[in-house]
Amino acid sequence: MAEGRDPLRYFRVEARDLVDQISAGVLDLDQRPGPEPVGRLLRAAHTLKGAARVVKQKEIADRAHAFEEILVPHRTGAGALAAEEMQELLRLNDEIAAQVSALQSPQAAAAAPSSAQQPAGQDPAEALNPVPEMPMAARAATADLDELLDAIGEANARMAPLRNGCTTVERLHRSAATLADQLRVGRGAPAATTRASAERLARELGSAGRRFTDAVDQIERELHDVRAKAEGLRLVPAGTIFTALRRAVRDAAESQGKRIRFEAYGADIRMGAHLLGPVSGAFLHVVRNAVVHGIEPEAERLAARKPAEGTVAVEVERRGRWAVFRCADDGRGFDLDALRRTARARGLLGPSARPPDQQELLDLVLHGGISTSPEVTEVAGRGIGMDAVREVATQLHGEVAVRSSPGAGATVELTIPLALLSMTGLNVEAGGTVATLPLDSVRGCVRLSATEAATAATTGRIVYDGGAAPFLPLAEALYTGSTVPDSPSPGAAVMVGTDDGTVAVGVDRLAGTSALVARPLPDLAPSTPVIGSVSVDADGNPRLVLDPQGLAAEVLRGHVGGRPAAPATAAPLPILVVDDSLTTRMLERSILESAGFEVDLAASGEEALELARSRRYGLILSDIDMPGIDGFALVERTRADPELAGVPAILVSSRANAEDRDRGRAAGAAAYVIKGEFDQEELLNHIRRLVVRA
Amino acid sequence: MTGRTVAERVARLRTDFDRSFAEPARVLDHESVELLAIRVGDRPYALCLSQTSGVHPDRPVTALPTTLRALLGVAGFAGTIVPVYDLAALLGHPIAQRPRWLALTAGTPPLALAFHELDHHLRVPVTDVVDSVTDGSGPRGYLDGMVRLPDGNRSIIDVPATRALVHQLAGHPLDPEESR
Repeated sequence: MAEGRDPLRYFRVEARDLVDQISAGVLDLDQRPGPEPVGRLLRAAHTLKGAARVVKQKEIADRAHAFEEILVPHRTGAGALAAEEMQELLRLNDEIAAQVSALQSPQAAAAAPSSAQQPAGQDPAEALNPVPEMPMAARAATADLDELLDAIGEANARMAPLRNGCTTVERLHRSAATLADQLRVGRGAPAATTRASAERLARELGSAGRRFTDAVDQIERELHDVRAKAEGLRLVPAGTIFTALRRAVRDAAESQGKRIRFEAYGADIRMGAHLLGPVSGAFLHVVRNAVVHGIEPEAERLAARKPAEGTVAVEVERRGRWAVFRCADDGRGFDLDALRRTARARGLLGPSARPPDQQELLDLVLHGGISTSPEVTEVAGRGIGMDAVREVATQLHGEVAVRSSPGAGATVELTIPLALLSMTGLNVEAGGTVATLPLDSVRGCVRLSATEAATAATTGRIVYDGGAAPFLPLAEALYTGSTVPDSPSPGAAVMVGTDDGTVAVGVDRLAGTSALVARPLPDLAPSTPVIGSVSVDADGNPRLVLDPQGLAAEVLRGHVGGRPAAPATAAPLPILVVDDSLTTRMLERSILESAGFEVDLAASGEEALELARSRRYGLILSDIDMPGIDGFALVERTRADPELAGVPAILVSSRANAEDRDRGRAAGAAAYVIKGEFDQEELLNHIRRLVVRA
Repeated sequence: MTGRTVAERVARLRTDFDRSFAEPARVLDHESVELLAIRVGDRPYALCLSQTSGVHPDRPVTALPTTLRALLGVAGFAGTIVPVYDLAALLGHPIAQRPRWLALTAGTPPLALAFHELDHHLRVPVTDVVDSVTDGSGPRGYLDGMVRLPDGNRSIIDVPATRALVHQLAGHPLDPEESR
């Protein structure tokens, strides 16, 4: 058994969790003394002591015991802990953490016991790297694992009805065989009895079938749940790096004799552990820099009418497919004069007479390895912090920005792309495709009657929340480059909040919400900005995840009604109308010309090809049924011709069946309009959306 | 014959026999090449088996809004999301019918090429493969020789060249390290 070989297997998991609680608890206690944090710490230390004794980890148990001894007198809340008591707690905490991480795996423990077991408090440099940083971010919380195990157990439990069902099927099989025997022999039981047995058999088979279907449905649901939870395990909450940062701030503050409050936001945002590890390492330098260079000594702060206590805030934020890590302090900001002097001394500024502006100087900090610190202290200096952030940014394909306002503080911001993104999505169905919208961008959903949907489609607007929001059926955005398939008019509008305001997208149906992990589109699959990322559904097939910002741009771009003509819009190229019927040609020409387009006419596919090669058109509007080259062939030929492939084509036909629509789409038509349902406004909307402009 | 030589011969025969199972069939000899006879649109072609890493029928493809005509969408392969390109469109003779088969190409990033019919799998002597006369026009740039078969000659699709075309269309430069 695995347990036999590795008796520490479960202890490691539990102890890591308890050490996390203790590390965070000590810092809580440091900031807010009181019986409540003391009680929590005592419980964690006590649990750890008990567990360590069970697995004969005497060292850990003894330290947990010593930890408890310090806390017990303060259980009733009799005042704050003395400074040396706090020191001792931190020292024990570090030792316990080091010992627990040395248990990581039998090999690791054998390889690195000397450094890990060295008491951390004795060496000032050691205090700078207190708790191991990487493993902390690189694992899933036990609570998540418990949930996953529960879900697996649940799925397993659903197997029982299936197993019973197998026995039932076995029994029914025997009954059927007996019945067949009776029928074959043709004597024995009278016909009425045989019929009764056959009927009973059919009934039982029916109910067994229903039970099977139910059981399979349930298992499918449970497995879906298991899958979602397992996917989530690949991602770790950003909050796991906060304890190490908080401890670094505390230690640096103490060595500098400053009072500093640490604030952290965005602990729940989840991302890949491989991102959090390096970011945590770099941000340890950033927060130390903030404490040492940023926050002024108390007297200076008071003189500048600032609170005596400085603030260092770390914030994690998700912005679309990006994660932003921000460290802001309310200190003196970057010392621009010092920067200028250093830069000049090192010849980094060049002979230019113009003095560098603030941002140029800050960029030097970012790129040049210069520091604002007048001296190199043991906790910060030499611009090492910024180098570390820059390296992480390069490694993770991100960017760093530095902002500073003299006297008010500085901000370092690291933005990195997220390969995997955990989110809750609203699944929507449009034009036969299911796509997902990030739920946090959804402001609301509105049910649309057929009339409302028609009005919305014509006016391109929908009344919402006392205003008129721009509207676009999602299917039109999803089928860029091909024909929108036949689908009922939108049954609902989803209101999406974006930087450009709220926009409405029309969907056929809302298909519930689900937890999902989104990843970027593959490199070789360029798409329109409407698609932000892609996830994998329960069947292993890709599902598109919409980008709210890109969707808004598409809605506003296609949205011409009401607005004065967009200033940047260039004039459309002429439109080529192809139809063998004179009436249709003339009707279409009058519609297009009154909408402000220039129109050329062709009476056959052959003529159209000839014209198309002699002049640049913005769009081809063609009938299907024509003698000679028909509409399908015309579209195919123009698509295969590199010169003409860029001119969108719309097919107009009286053929209303889905098969012809599919054929049109496959041929490469960008839209398919049915003559019988000829709607001038719909046609013009298609044309305005597709036409190539000069 | 001494017992010793018999034992040696038996041992050698056994080793040869075992090895014939242990080694992948395609490296059994260097005198032949393995091909998939396929139909792209309605035209016959051949694909080198060594340039593909899998062939799959009827895999659902999620369509993407895109301006690339040849990009059919993306499909899922064991959790990896793979772009799917229509071979007929890449070779310059698209047809309306949706292709049924996907061939995963060797190399990275992942790429699947879609074609309409899989005729058969065959191993032919390398001497049956001849260099085609390149006149530099049309799809010939994406072909790599011809193979003589009883049911007629087939052009062999140059998968690396086709991949390079896809990279160019997608605006993603072909990284020599990636395609290794």
